[in-house]
Amino acid sequence: MDVTFRIRRFNPEVPGKNKPYWQEFTVKNVEETDRVLELLHRVKWEQDGTLTLRRACAHGVCGSDAMRINGVNKLACKVLVRDVGTKIQIEPILGLPVLKDLVVDMEPFFDHYRSVMPFFVNDTPVPADGRERRQTQEDREKFDDTTKCILCAACTTSCPSFWANGHYVGPAAIVQAHRFIFDTRDEGWKERLEILGEPNGVWRCRTIFNCTPACPREIQVTKAIGEVKLAIQQRKREGIATPVGPIAVGNG
Amino acid sequence: MTSLVLTLTETLRYRGALGQWSWVLHRITGLGVLLFLVLHVIGVSWAVFFPELWEKEILIYQHPLFTIGEFALTACVIYHALNGLRIGILDYNPKWWKHQQQAAIYVLIGTVVILIPTFILMFQHVLKHYQSPEAPFIVSLAFIAEAQFPFLVGIVVAAVAAVLVSSVVGLFTGGGRASADKNARQSHHGSQLERFWWRFMRTSGILIVPLVFGHLILAHIVQGVFEINLINATIPGVPVNEALGMLANGINNSGTAVEYVAERWNFFAGPVAIWRLYDAALLALVTVHGFNGLRYVLTDYTQGSPLLRRAMGYLCAMGAVALLVVGTLALLGTIDQTMVDMARAAQDAILAGG
Ligand code: HEM
Ligand code: HEM
Ligand code: SF4
Ligand code: FES
Repeated sequence: MDVTFRIRRFNPEVPGKNKPYWQEFTVKNVEETDRVLELLHRVKWEQDGTLTLRRACAHGVCGSDAMRINGVNKLACKVLVRDVGTKIQIEPILGLPVLKDLVVDMEPFFDHYRSVMPFFVNDTPVPADGRERRQTQEDREKFDDTTKCILCAACTTSCPSFWANGHYVGPAAIVQAHRFIFDTRDEGWKERLEILGEPNGVWRCRTIFNCTPACPREIQVTKAIGEVKLAIQQRKREGIATPVGPIAVGNG
Repeated sequence: MTSLVLTLTETLRYRGALGQWSWVLHRITGLGVLLFLVLHVIGVSWAVFFPELWEKEILIYQHPLFTIGEFALTACVIYHALNGLRIGILDYNPKWWKHQQQAAIYVLIGTVVILIPTFILMFQHVLKHYQSPEAPFIVSLAFIAEAQFPFLVGIVVAAVAAVLVSSVVGLFTGGGRASADKNARQSHHGSQLERFWWRFMRTSGILIVPLVFGHLILAHIVQGVFEINLINATIPGVPVNEALGMLANGINNSGTAVEYVAERWNFFAGPVAIWRLYDAALLALVTVHGFNGLRYVLTDYTQGSPLLRRAMGYLCAMGAVALLVVGTLALLGTIDQTMVDMARAAQDAILAGG
């Protein structure tokens, strides 16, 4: 079977290509189990070597190939032709400056990530046995979901509040903060709640729910944001986060 | 403003889930109802300050265009209310968020289920009006344009004033650009104000539901807009009591919209003017909720410019204060027989084509 690609392209250095434009490619002899990333490789290797995209692991762990596929954010390496059909439209993720073709500047995204102190904070001495700080299984469950984030930016760039306002800290940074805020061993949670309580913190979230289906790791992103909002409202972190049950909104 | 264009076009292009469209509808319906509210509160205040103008305004509300608008307004209020409740309920119960997609569908179904009987009842008032033996009077479009134009001017003037104030403030505070210095290690303080507003939007929403539904039931179902200036009609929510004066007997003796308001506001249950109290609660909650909602919307799209962002905050604050003052002064005012007579004369003049 053949697959037709319609790809959003942009090259700031070449006159005539320095305004975003659409280009079509046809790839032949495609299996329905081929991944979109492989086919983009075939376009690049067999038809047009200038097509520029990011990828590394090709197995959904590094988070470098988030793009808008047929209108929704996905990881190209996790999507099969079977899932999206034989007419595939590819665009860069939205809300971050496009550098070239499908490559965006991730720095503003990482700035937001760094702003929430995404690291373990605990200055008390380690326990007497010199080993790990212990935690019950139930306590660990509460933030298990948000440990899975690979920082692909699919969620943040699916959010209309972020498109409108790049100062909004965005879903991914809140997910990362959630992972530490609700970790009983962490002591930086109060400061994180202050950071996320700023006008461009969690309050820009309008419960639109685009982020949850966009997440390739099936993290319940909007739920996590909601729990952080409640923690700020109630000035506490106990009794707010709940483990994620069976997943209702998958990355379809 | 580029961010507004980008967000509009890309929201249409992004194939988000149902929640994306719920948000679009919530925003549009909220803004639509707020626009009506501004015209409406100023309009009602004329019953006290400029009786002829309120009489004129009700004739305008009876134009077919406004009848269509009235159906749209009702739909907006109902959708926004149900969707607002959905947002509020899920916000306080993140653990239920796997049901959000279903909840969004229930909101749509609920809106339709409530709207069908509501529209049927509303439409009966419309039918009755157009089937009455005397030919229904319809004001001209030019008449409407002339009466509504000042509102447009007012909104533009307010926006320009807000930008001017913001520039002046910017001159004194260095334009707010200093804080954009990326290397400055800032200390963080959650915004207590935003924390408050988030809670306020949700609690006020719950309180507004019965108030605004009750208001709409009286104005649309018990009677229609066409009965507001109908001679000898009864006044919804005011029991007939011939023993009381002309402006408190529960009957619209003069057939004016001004007497209608007078009757409602003159009704006392014991020592309490309940409709004044009711309207005051509605006014306060809806105005503050609506203008804070407007602030949310406007500041979403103006983060790129400190000048505009501040201006939008001022605009919303000014709007809310202005509307609260006008509405409250009206509620504290009195309507006497001479004002009703003025309104009667104005109505006669318009009906006679003058
Ligand atoms: C077309 C639909 C509507 C009609 C015909 C209507 C009619 C009226 C009338 C006749 C009054 C005068 C006092 C009274 O009777 O209580 C009034 C007052 C008021 N209405 Fe409405 N109303 C409508 C829709 C709404 C909506 C949707 C809202 C809320 C968003 C609203 C908010 C108010 C407020 C706040 C007042 C008090 C105004 C003041 O303080 O001066 N109305 N309305
Ligand atoms: C009938 C009951 C109502 C309920 C339950 C309700 C609830 C809500 C909720 C929960 C929000 C979301 C706030 C947020 O995202 O933080 C909201 C936003 C808003 N509401 Fe209401 N509301 C109601 C009536 C009204 C009325 C009468 C108006 C107009 C005067 C209005 C205007 C707005 C606006 C302009 C927004 C901002 C929309 C946005 O940010 O996208 N609401 N409302
Ligand atoms: S939460 Fe999911 S979508 Fe968002 S950055 Fe992490 S992995 Fe990507
Ligand atoms: S290439 Fe690593 S996640 Fe897709």
